[in-house]
Amino acid sequence: MDNTLAIGLSRQMVLERQLDVVANNLANVDTAGYKSQGMRFERYLASGGRGIPASAEGRQPLSYVTDPGDFLDFSEGAIENTHDPLDVALDGEGFLVVQTPEGERYTRDGALKLDAAGRLVTASGDPVLGANGPVTFSQSETDIAIGADGTISSSQGLKDRLRLVRFADPQKLSREGGNLYAASDPPDPIEPGKLRVVSGALERSNVQPITATTRLIEISRAYQLVANAIQSTSSLRETAIQQLADVAA
Amino acid sequence: MRALYIAATGMMAQEMNVQVISNNIANMQTTGYKRQRAEFQDLLYQNLRRAGTTTSQNDTVLPAGLELGSGVKTVATPRDMSQGTLSTTNKNFDIAIRGDGFFQVQMPDGSTAYTRDGSFQPDANGVIVTQDGYPVLPNISVPNNATAVTINNEGLVQATIPGQTAPQTIGQLQLARFVNPAGLQSNGDNLYSETVASGPPLVQNPGDQGTGTVLQGSLEGANVNAVTEISDLIAAQRAYEMNAKVVSTAEAMLDATNNLR
Repeated sequence: MDNTLAIGLSRQMVLERQLDVVANNLANVDTAGYKSQGMRFERYLASGGRGIPASAEGRQPLSYVTDPGDFLDFSEGAIENTHDPLDVALDGEGFLVVQTPEGERYTRDGALKLDAAGRLVTASGDPVLGANGPVTFSQSETDIAIGADGTISSSQGLKDRLRLVRFADPQKLSREGGNLYAASDPPDPIEPGKLRVVSGALERSNVQPITATTRLIEISRAYQLVANAIQSTSSLRETAIQQLADVAA
Repeated sequence: MRALYIAATGMMAQEMNVQVISNNIANMQTTGYKRQRAEFQDLLYQNLRRAGTTTSQNDTVLPAGLELGSGVKTVATPRDMSQGTLSTTNKNFDIAIRGDGFFQVQMPDGSTAYTRDGSFQPDANGVIVTQDGYPVLPNISVPNNATAVTINNEGLVQATIPGQTAPQTIGQLQLARFVNPAGLQSNGDNLYSETVASGPPLVQNPGDQGTGTVLQGSLEGANVNAVTEISDLIAAQRAYEMNAKVVSTAEAMLDATNNLR
């Protein structure tokens, strides 16, 4: 009978974590370049109790549930026009390269800025790399423009090209916060012209509010269902104790 | 249950978003106002299982990790420094900037402030001042017997004096430019001041090397687009509601747990 509680608990723990993931998706519904996160569930088979192996004849193995991992939905978010020449959206698979004190990081948040030294930076102030390293503009340069193939030009002519990369398996990227991803494997460069860069636009978060809200209802109901099952087990046990102990004197 | 706190960060972010949007709408008719926009970033992640961890002696690895996020933060509210629409006022000392640059204003404490609001007036001594009475730099005095003052696109200020055939040059307007105008600090009253992020000003005559030109008799309106702001407002309100829904879901789950016994 203890198994019912343990199985219910395994489901509830997973549901709580799933709620955290959905909450994080909804909190980031307005974060530029944010990619929606999902959970993978697995059935975890355990033996049927009392030392009987799971494969023993006539015994159903117990199914617990675990969440061995998550996945990122790398589908593209909506591209919104901002008319800021330093905003870029990547139309297709790929990342911008950001130089942080911890090393190279990757992002799809293209809300670029200039810092006091005239360097092209992210909203956190980390330099965004061109093919030849950080891109710096002098004070007298105007009309900064980023072309469809990532070329950066100004009133002084062609400056550099945004360094664009992709990964063989983007699911291996880990999130660092600040719209940055860290990679364990080196990225593959993207040839000029293979990925369209839309300037004056930003990629919105790809979180689907309707899906996320539906998921919330699902989680909440599933949780209550398990709670009810635990409740039933508990009253079953209570009745058993009362009635079994009720021996005629 | 972390979801409660995650949803709280989402609600706070949307609250700030609404604050920024409402300030844009409130300043729709403010001369030289530049709209702001709230930018967000995701917060740190907790790695429960790290992708690529070895799972057996045969070099099998976890294909995907388990990372739990902790919400969202507002990272910046940069200004969109794009040009506002110019409207003709036909007032002599209304000056609009077309392109890059700011007028310089001498503040009472001796510092210099920067503005795109060119609704100037001569004061009692003929000095050109802002609506608040602060002199525009470099100081330009209009002779009290001048009948007309013209300002050309390059900022040259000339006065017509009765009895003189040629107009007399009385000053030259100058504009300040910044590498990163979005880094200027907003002081209110349509004024900005220099910061470490904006970089030092580059003062030039209008029309020089990328500096904008000036237009007499016009004012630059706010670059706020009513339709965009209202749709942003609706989106922000809905996002707030969705985060509130997460709070109530988390609450219902905690309630179910509490009612187990």
